[in-house]
Amino acid sequence: MHSMEGEMLKGHLDMIVLAALSTGPAHGYAVIQEIRRRSGQAFDLPEGTVYPALHRLEQAGWLTSRWVTAESGRRRRVYALTRHGERALTERRAVWQQFSDAIGSLLAGTRPRRRPA
Amino acid sequence: MISDYLEALAAALSFDRPLSQRVRQEVEDHLRQAVDADPAGGGGLEAQQRAIANFGEPHAIAVQFAVVSLAQQTKRVGAAIILLIAGVFVAMKARVAWYAIMRCAISDDIKIVSGIIGSIDRYSFWVSVIIGIVGWVYVSGYRIVAGSGAAYRKQLRRFFLLCAAATGSLVISVVSDGVLTTLRLPEAGLSAEFLVPIFSMAIEIACAAILVLQIRGITQRATATAALLKT
Repeated sequence: MHSMEGEMLKGHLDMIVLAALSTGPAHGYAVIQEIRRRSGQAFDLPEGTVYPALHRLEQAGWLTSRWVTAESGRRRRVYALTRHGERALTERRAVWQQFSDAIGSLLAGTRPRRRPA
Repeated sequence: MISDYLEALAAALSFDRPLSQRVRQEVEDHLRQAVDADPAGGGGLEAQQRAIANFGEPHAIAVQFAVVSLAQQTKRVGAAIILLIAGVFVAMKARVAWYAIMRCAISDDIKIVSGIIGSIDRYSFWVSVIIGIVGWVYVSGYRIVAGSGAAYRKQLRRFFLLCAAATGSLVISVVSDGVLTTLRLPEAGLSAEFLVPIFSMAIEIACAAILVLQIRGITQRATATAALLKT
């Protein structure tokens, strides 16, 4: 599968991060791994972009976070969806589904044009 | 190598010290995990280089955090406006109640002047209350989305205008209060009963000064963020 363009992903970053956290609380590194795994390695984001998104979503009240100590002894910030976040994800999923269906219907009737030799 | 990278990132985020410390810890954990999970193993220099390259440039990350941090600070300023205006209101009401208890009447000589100044005081105070509430509601309602640029700058400009208008009105109100208090001073003299009005005026001045400093701080932060976005 082709890797998605960064700019294409940026617009959907919030939804992607919320979806990655929908399975349960996770820290930044695990969120990135989850995004890669669930997208079949198609979403290969610059890892540093996920952290500002996590902070932004926390500020919006869609995530909460707390420090935990990992087995390695390092401190780790773990993020979890709030009820607002779950609601926002449900809304975005519905909008995305609508959009995806519409684009799918539109493209179903088209074929790639052959270029003249 | 990771330490150098973390230093660079912390320096780029120095505009917000608590944020800088938190991000540094988070990113350190991330990079160490990435090095541990590197397929080549060993945690050597190359694994560290790969982890850092995958993470991105410190400046690019700092820019994204700067926007988030600025949004957080504007929300704090929005709430501070309401609290500081409330502080001025309480001080004002306490002084008026004190005058009533002490039966401090205004002499006929200054009645007209104090009437005009009193009107200016009242109107400017309520203008600051209305604009302050509008600013607070406005700033509480907006959310930063990824990649938001022009729209966010527009929202910020509007908020700054509202802040400046609310602060200006409040300063006029506090100055009017100061004049009214000074007008009463020669009648009462520097007696103990005048300590309450002086103390309440000090609270009002402090509230207005804190508000001006808050607005100055957020303006400086916005300028720094804009400069960071340009580089």
